Amino acid sequence: MPKSAYLLRWRVMDGLEALVAAIWPRHFHRALPYVMLLPAVLLVLLLVIGMIQIGDSSARTLDRSTFLPSDFYTAGNYQRIFTDGLYWSILWRSLLGSVIVTALCLVFAFPYSYLMVRTPSALLRKFLLIALFLPFFIGQVVRAYGWLIILGNQGVVNEMLGLIGVAPIRLLYNYPAVLFGLVQYMIPFAVLMLAPALTAIPEEMESAANSLGANWWRTFIHVVLPMARPGLVGAGLVVLTLSLTDFAMPAILGGGSQDFIANAIYDQFFRTSDQGMGAALTLILVGVGSLLVGVVFTLFGAGTLAMGRDRK
Amino acid sequence: MTNKTSILALSRRRFLGGAAALGGLVATGWTGKAFAQEPEKPAEIIVRAWGGSWVASLQAGVSDPFTAATGIAVRHDLTEDNEIQPKVWAAVAQGRVPPIHINWDTTTNATKSALRGITEDLSDLPNLANVTELAKPVGLEGYPIVNTYGYVYVLAYRPSAFPDGPPTSLQVLLDPKFKGRIALYNDGIGFHFPAQVAGGGKLEDIPGNMEPAWEFIRKVKEQQPLLGEDPDFTNWFQNGEIDLAVTISTNAREAMKNGIDLAWTVPEEGSKFETDGLWIPKGLPENELYWAKQYINFALTKEAQQVWLDGLGLPGVVPGLTPPEGLAGDPSYPTEPEDFKHLIRVPTAIQVEHESEWFSAFKSIMQG
Amino acid sequence: MTQPLSKSIVIWAMVIVVLIVLSAPTIVVLGASLTSGNIITFPPDGLSLQWYAKIAMAADLRNAFLRSLAVASICTLIAIPVGTLAGIALSKYAVRFEHALQIYLLLPFTIPLIGSGIGLMLLFGEWGLLGQIWPIGVACCVINLPFMIWAVTASASSLDPDLELAAANCGAPPVATFFHVTLPAVLPGVISGSLLMFILALNEFLVSLLLTDARTVTLPVQIYNSIRSIITPDLAAISVVFIVCAALVIALLDRLVGLDIFLKSK
Repeated sequence: MPKSAYLLRWRVMDGLEALVAAIWPRHFHRALPYVMLLPAVLLVLLLVIGMIQIGDSSARTLDRSTFLPSDFYTAGNYQRIFTDGLYWSILWRSLLGSVIVTALCLVFAFPYSYLMVRTPSALLRKFLLIALFLPFFIGQVVRAYGWLIILGNQGVVNEMLGLIGVAPIRLLYNYPAVLFGLVQYMIPFAVLMLAPALTAIPEEMESAANSLGANWWRTFIHVVLPMARPGLVGAGLVVLTLSLTDFAMPAILGGGSQDFIANAIYDQFFRTSDQGMGAALTLILVGVGSLLVGVVFTLFGAGTLAMGRDRK
Repeated sequence: MTNKTSILALSRRRFLGGAAALGGLVATGWTGKAFAQEPEKPAEIIVRAWGGSWVASLQAGVSDPFTAATGIAVRHDLTEDNEIQPKVWAAVAQGRVPPIHINWDTTTNATKSALRGITEDLSDLPNLANVTELAKPVGLEGYPIVNTYGYVYVLAYRPSAFPDGPPTSLQVLLDPKFKGRIALYNDGIGFHFPAQVAGGGKLEDIPGNMEPAWEFIRKVKEQQPLLGEDPDFTNWFQNGEIDLAVTISTNAREAMKNGIDLAWTVPEEGSKFETDGLWIPKGLPENELYWAKQYINFALTKEAQQVWLDGLGLPGVVPGLTPPEGLAGDPSYPTEPEDFKHLIRVPTAIQVEHESEWFSAFKSIMQG
Repeated sequence: MTQPLSKSIVIWAMVIVVLIVLSAPTIVVLGASLTSGNIITFPPDGLSLQWYAKIAMAADLRNAFLRSLAVASICTLIAIPVGTLAGIALSKYAVRFEHALQIYLLLPFTIPLIGSGIGLMLLFGEWGLLGQIWPIGVACCVINLPFMIWAVTASASSLDPDLELAAANCGAPPVATFFHVTLPAVLPGVISGSLLMFILALNEFLVSLLLTDARTVTLPVQIYNSIRSIITPDLAAISVVFIVCAALVIALLDRLVGLDIFLKSK
């Protein structure tokens, strides 16, 4: 019985090979990577077509006597954004915030991933992995109420401070609170991006450096860190782009006065019904984000995206 | 818990009452003429509503009795009014059937949709004959929306923070004692006009000169207010984060019902008075449009209004409603001309035209 | 290998900080779900399972949860072939205009979710697809696709190109090489990527908000919308049910393939 199954499998494979050879002659193989990329490119194309629609509405201003977009193109929305100091300060706040969040995430995700990858104990590894996945299952809104209970004026932390005679401090509803919330949200992503890259660093490299007399810190700086660069770039890009465009944390933990660009976009689309302004802000944010990604690629390489080839 | 059951039991009783009322209504004949050529009933209609106690009240007062009388199920779409708007607008613009049959909406938001020309005219609803002036949207042709009740942006406060009696003026927001302990809606809605008075300006100057309002709001900004939405306010009061908030009375009342120490007042500068309404987007099949209109028509009966608005604690648009327990004479429940003296009403047309300027002026101050 | 004490202290101190920060809200929400009061508090206001009873009774929540499962499954089923092929292509081959292509493939992250939601709503509306479940799954797949691609490329690092050459030299035809050499090498990335895609789709609310209607509403959208004047502990109870489900899935995965597969290539 197993024998015939085995044969069937062979026959299926042979058929597949023949099929592939017929529709895909060998000399086409230079096109192979493009064919493999095609489905992903097409999926993302959905967003791009959506962005073209957004681009169209960004070039129309809202007529407030009919609440219809203008039927002619104008740069009015962009002019308003670039001349209004409010948007500049919100853009700056988002950019600075996402850079700080990225740095903090990498600093804290690194030892976590390192321990997870290097520990000889399978049990510890599982524990660390599960602790990483569980927070995903509490929605951002409910999670934020959790933080209110922990960090609020009458929260757990302030009560503990009260025991040692410290008056309640407002820990929430400011810029640091938003950044803290973002770091907490992003760390699992960073660890998951970083861990496979650390797995790829042979442990023998570290022992070799140690046996040559380097202390662990020097080994870390000169051996581990450079080899982990692809993972750091990959994790960094994920955290950078996701926190730059985040909406929920500034809305919930910022107390209403710490808006990021996504919050300004939300306001235009949903609160003031000005789709044109919302669209223009969206495109500006996409531009800034993509520029940032491009700069990172140029400075640090493509990170995990090109790891398979880096090692050749 | 006991509180909860009693509310449920009450709703049930009222539901039966409402159903009986609708039955009676059918008998007395307002659908009598329509009955012969009554279009096909859809299996369900979808009504957009706010969640929590808001939808519970609507269900008890309007939706359940409507289903009992017509056999048409009512499904509630709990998407926020702001967030459903682009969905409905896109559907009408693309010639699709809109995702909802009826939108329970703020009059300001509904007016935008009316100006855009995507609302069905409701002038032929029979029950419009019995409603007060409040039901008619000001400055719009016919009835693209029907207002169903009014509400007040009261000054809610924590009584324990005011041992000498309730605050009387908005100037209390500037008291150093309350620095970091006050809250406003995050677009400043409900606060712009009272702030105009508090800043020494005149209401007649709206929208021409709002500088006094911005001046006052800049001073309030120094007090580091928290900005948020209704659930935030409730949580902030509950967790001792704030002592004062400008908010809709319904939400303050809901928080109070849940055991949070809270009271409210209308300050001497006045409070903003607003209305909410119901409207139907264009693009529905004929028969669904007919039944959606019947739903709104039923929402304008005294029986439906009584139960629905008891739940919300708000004054309706049908004469002769009995105020909910404890709200007779309350500043958040105006019924007589006298009650409106301290309430500020600005024509919806002006609000709709200038709202985004006001929001962005408010944001510029608060985000600075 | 023995670790220097100072190294262990630094690593453990930072890991413990991360563990506390990651789990604190989970613990609070867990506690709050057991309250006998009407409002989320911690420590809970008396113990009771009433909020669990309430959500167990709610048919609309159950339906929304089933829809969310469908959305997450569709998202994952699309992401696996698309992301795996793209990931292998990017890590194995040098393609022209590589940086531009990578920036393009990162668009789902650089476009704010509200923008993606509005764009997809207009597009799907134009094509008459709204009101169904599967376009929501497609949308969730698009906005999180980079995770799948990157998970695969990250594990492709363990793929030795010489191995594929060797297989080819031994006469293995391309399809056999793909299934016997390439795919097993990237399998850890595929599994961790799909798990992440599934979880993220299960919890997605901002884009889904714009693509669902009252008949196709998913659980996170339902939760987000039901918060009005007060936030009731049933939301905490739902989160806990979510966590328990997640724990079961993770345990199952551990029994079936072993959790180590996330980190070790073989």
